[in-house]
Amino acid sequence: MKRSLYLFAAAVLFAGGPALAQNTITIGFTASQTGALNNDSTAQMRGIELWKDHVNAKGGIKAGGKSYQVKLVSYDDESQNTRVQQLYTRLITQDNAQFLISPYSSGLVATAAVISEQYGKVMITTGGALEKTYKLGNKHLFQLYSGSTQYLAGALKALMQKDPKPSIAFVYENDPFSKAVTIAAREQAKKAGVTVAVDESYAGSTTDFSPVINKVISAKATALFGGGHYADGATLARQLHEQKAGLKWVTLLVAPDSPKFAELGDAANGISVPSQWEPQVTFKPDFGPTPAAFAKEFTDKFKIAPAYHAAGGYAAGLILQHAIEQANSIDPEKVTEVLNKMDVTTFFGHTKFSDDPKSHGLQVGHEMVLAQWQKKNGKLVKEIVWPDAAKTANVIY
Amino acid sequence: MWRRPFPWLIVVAALLFALVPYFTNDVGMRESLLLAAIYIILASNLNLMIGYAGYVNFGNIVFFGLGGYICLYLVTAWHVHVIVAALIGGVAVSAVALLFGTGILRLRGAFFALATIGVNQAVQQLVVNFEPWGGATGIYLSLDSYKPFGGPMQALWWMYLLIVLLTAASMLLSYVIKNSKFGLGLIAIGQNEDAAAVLGVPTARYKALVYSASAFLPAMAGGLYFFKSGIIEPGAAFNLEQSIEAIVMLMLGGAGTILGPALGAVLYEEMRGILLTTQYLSHFQLVIAGVLLLIIVQFVPGGLLGWLHRLWPRTRGWLQ
Repeated sequence: MKRSLYLFAAAVLFAGGPALAQNTITIGFTASQTGALNNDSTAQMRGIELWKDHVNAKGGIKAGGKSYQVKLVSYDDESQNTRVQQLYTRLITQDNAQFLISPYSSGLVATAAVISEQYGKVMITTGGALEKTYKLGNKHLFQLYSGSTQYLAGALKALMQKDPKPSIAFVYENDPFSKAVTIAAREQAKKAGVTVAVDESYAGSTTDFSPVINKVISAKATALFGGGHYADGATLARQLHEQKAGLKWVTLLVAPDSPKFAELGDAANGISVPSQWEPQVTFKPDFGPTPAAFAKEFTDKFKIAPAYHAAGGYAAGLILQHAIEQANSIDPEKVTEVLNKMDVTTFFGHTKFSDDPKSHGLQVGHEMVLAQWQKKNGKLVKEIVWPDAAKTANVIY
Repeated sequence: MWRRPFPWLIVVAALLFALVPYFTNDVGMRESLLLAAIYIILASNLNLMIGYAGYVNFGNIVFFGLGGYICLYLVTAWHVHVIVAALIGGVAVSAVALLFGTGILRLRGAFFALATIGVNQAVQQLVVNFEPWGGATGIYLSLDSYKPFGGPMQALWWMYLLIVLLTAASMLLSYVIKNSKFGLGLIAIGQNEDAAAVLGVPTARYKALVYSASAFLPAMAGGLYFFKSGIIEPGAAFNLEQSIEAIVMLMLGGAGTILGPALGAVLYEEMRGILLTTQYLSHFQLVIAGVLLLIIVQFVPGGLLGWLHRLWPRTRGWLQ
């Protein structure tokens, strides 16, 4: 009797063994839990976490006949690239991360890539829009966002549909991202034969824009492109309204994308923002959640509506998962091959990476949308006004 | 100089610093020690200004950033070998510092401190608008730049070993200056500048010289460090916060001593590193670092080394 009990126990143990020893796949990244990039980076991290919850609830990532539960390992990079290399080295060598997701912002991405590339790790980058990073010879780096030269390209096209001969004032923050984006747009505008009425950059800490606004008024500009981040962008929008700058078109970076922007009231009305993604987009995904389903689950979990940084985080996980499942292997080289050929649509939009060795991994499929704050029945709502295929309302001009 | 035990202590410590991670092939340890080494270079050279001459330089990071920019520019635009480029960066920044120093070192106390912040901000703005250096987005290195070393993995080891070499050089420089006539002159300036001048110390020349000397090694380190990072941008290169951190490390270890800044830098960096990677503490790491610093500054104003010296007066002789 006793012996059979032992046998039974042993049988249970053996049978239970493989099921207990879960296969896991470790995905590492750093997030800016402190410092200047905290707001956007946190949204991105939440997106990644939501993806992990979804994958694990559905049994994990499937490859090579096994199911892998996703384990996330992340550290705080303090919004500075001083520590990024140390932390990514740690993720790879000590935490044994098999795949990586990038930190937030272009400078940090480039720093992390030096490490990921030397270990041959696949890194999906989200929140690193500058194209420079993808022209350095990296082979395992894949960009999810549209590049910085695309940010204002849509706004320019949309504006020129309404007014083929606008006179544009470029007023932008002097940080790397805003400068790169606006200067690219200025060149596109010049090429299209548009008048550049004003070209001014300002420090992110600026609180009084009157001198610049006076310049815009006296130059008789009809449109303004620029901004930078939340605080300066919101202030600029408010002062443009208060000082009756008489502009017919205002597109600002980043700030108007935040739901908080509606607090500006009338000053927000008509202001547009280029966005990597908005909850109202109507892409039909090949796999993964629909835009609406993602927005709902994100809101349920974090009690805040997702903006594009959050969507980018989720999409990074989703694309990585799809690549691993298509490769049917967790071997980084096989996954890289799949990513090189990938051409898919998810809730985030179209995703296709450049496989030209000179710009390997650069995003060439994704298109940005232009959202505009519009007053509907006395309430401010953000509508998509461009491209025509995705629009939810006509542009106010 | 080599008849005293202290320089040998520096050499042995540097060898340990360099060889332990190399032979254990512990990349994680290397990365952590590398930041410590950078901080030692910053704090140790800052010590020449603050600890010896008594001039608080808040903008010391400008040397590091400018050296980094010159080096990366030479590497990317002219294909100069990084070691040569870093050396050129060091010499150029030292020369600029000598020029600037002659001007701003006429100021004293708080006015000098403010002027150093101004220099850092001015240089940063200049670089932001200087397109050959990439303007606001900075300079990005292509992976090909690491080829002379046989790839990024080897290049990073080389950079580490070279930076450790600069660390040892920084401490030896502190030692040589402290035990020279120049050093005595500086310390006299630090105690009472007018009295020193009356006694025949050429204060203006000494101050400009030490300002320039304190720029050389940080500028070289900047070159090697940003080469390792693969990117340099104005915000990261001229980060005032790092400047202030270097002052904190110096005070923590003991200003005016040679070993103090190094001890302060290592302790500070390791503490930050541990707090940052410990899951439950990562959100509080800045809070904990701040509280610890308050306690240290409040109760051990002479820094760690000052406290040791008070506890065991005999250590004064060999732990300088």
